[in-house]
Parts: sequence; structure tokens; C-alpha cells
Amino acid sequence: MILVGLVVAGACGALLRYEVELHVRRRLGPAFPYGTLLINVTGAFVLGLLTGLAAHDGVPSDVVTVVGTGLLGAYTTFSTFAYDTVALAEQGRVARAAVNVGASLGVGLGAAALGLLVGSTL
Amino acid sequence: MPESSGTDHHGGPNPPDPRHVHPHHGPGPLAAIAVGGALGTLARYGVERAAVANAAGFPWATFVVNVVGSFVLALVVTLVVERWPGDRFIRPLVAVGFCGGFTTFSTFAVEIDQRVRHGHAGTAVVYAAVSLLAGVGAALAGITLARGRVRPGTGAPGPVDPDLLAGDEESP
Repeated sequence: MILVGLVVAGACGALLRYEVELHVRRRLGPAFPYGTLLINVTGAFVLGLLTGLAAHDGVPSDVVTVVGTGLLGAYTTFSTFAYDTVALAEQGRVARAAVNVGASLGVGLGAAALGLLVGSTL
Repeated sequence: MPESSGTDHHGGPNPPDPRHVHPHHGPGPLAAIAVGGALGTLARYGVERAAVANAAGFPWATFVVNVVGSFVLALVVTLVVERWPGDRFIRPLVAVGFCGGFTTFSTFAVEIDQRVRHGHAGTAVVYAAVSLLAGVGAALAGITLARGRVRPGTGAPGPVDPDLLAGDEESP
């Protein structure tokens, strides 16, 4: 049953990532991977929230697995982030590549920490 | 009535810029993304289950998943962009779907925060730094390997595609 949940959640997470990335690029243009940054920051926040809640409120472990590992794991992505960073650097946009790494790590970790804090105090 | 001025199924307010018309449109590539995402998620779950969970130690499962996925995605995207530009399924299935679903940023971020919160800041810093270096290095290796295959014998990387992140190229 958990595998069925993971299949559905993984498929939904990947499609959601694709749609968000597409819409953000249409609005903000292709010069910087804003879409992947937004996806990773929001996903890190929600996973932090879920993890914080689970530690205190006894969220069923199957829910944590399907939503956390499945949906949010598939929604967020490390591989696109790594590829975009290299692609920016190869285009000579080293500053943008560095900003991508710094912002993903800084804002992503901050979002996860905020989520953990909020989740564990709710 | 700008909404009706284009064939863009997303119905954006602007007339469709041809560079932004997405080659993945249509149910086939979307199904490929869904199937790839499901398989990538199952594979990641399998790796995480196989690894010994240690809330304070180095998160080997996520590390391996992210580095391997970064390599494969960069390899496949470079092959598709530079060798198989007409592809409609390999990139959505393997890159956007499988590698995107296999690798994860949210777990990476929460694992770092949790180690800091529980007094293992050193492990957190090492994990973050090594993941970034290895992930970017793996992506570079994937791109280089793909170009070596595209141009056998030259030994030199091919020219950088200036439109790699442009609107007519979907992000992996």
C-alpha cells in the first residue's frame, strides 16, 4: 500500500515541479533558474513543517513517507539545481551560478529550519 | 483578449513567444514525466530503506542519490540537447521525471537543519559542502562524458550551447 502511495505521490510531485518551473520561467525569463529555486525552497519549508509536526503530534509514519519522501522528495530536485549551476558557469555567468548555490543553500536551509520550528510549535 | 491569442494551453496573458512554446506539450511527455517521477521516487525510497538510518551521522543515502542523479541527468540532458534534439520522451522520462524524482533537495535541507539542531554542526557542514561539490562535479562529469560521446576523438568539450537555459529549452 505504501508503494502505491509513493508511486502516486512521486508522479504528482514530478508533474507539479514541471508545471511550476514552466510557469515561473514564462513570467521571469530563462536567465536564472528561479523556478527550481522556488520549488526547492517551498519544498524544504513544507518538509520541515511535516517533520516538525511528526516529531510532536504523532503524524502517521505512512503519511510522512508518502508526503515527505514521495510528494516533496519528487517535487524538489537536486540534479536540476546541480546542472543549472554548471550550465550558468559554462556560459560565463559565474556570478549567477554562485548566487544559485548561495541562494538555494541559504534560503533553502532557512526555509527548512522555519518549517521545523513552526511544525514543532503548532 | 490576449488569452485567446495563442495555442498555449497554459493560457498565459501574453501572446506565446515561440521560444517559450514547450516541446513537452501533449499528454505523451507529461505521462513520461509522471512515470519517470514515480520510478525515481521508488528507487530513492529503496536506497533510503537499504541504508542504515542514523539521525546524527552522515546521510549517505541522500548523498549517493543526489550525486548519481546529478550525473545521469547532466549526461542525458546534454545528449538530448546536442545529439537528439528531436527527442520527445527520453528527456521527460529520464531527466525531468526519473532524475528529478530520484534526487531531492527538501530532504537534503531538512537533514542539514536537523543535524545542526541536534548538535552535529560539523557533520552538517561537511554534508552540505561535500554534496554541493560532488553534485556539481557529477553534473560536469556527465556533460563531459556526453560530449566525448558526441565528438569521439576530439578530446575537447564541445561548444557551450548558449540557449541551454533559454526559453526554448525546457529545464531538466
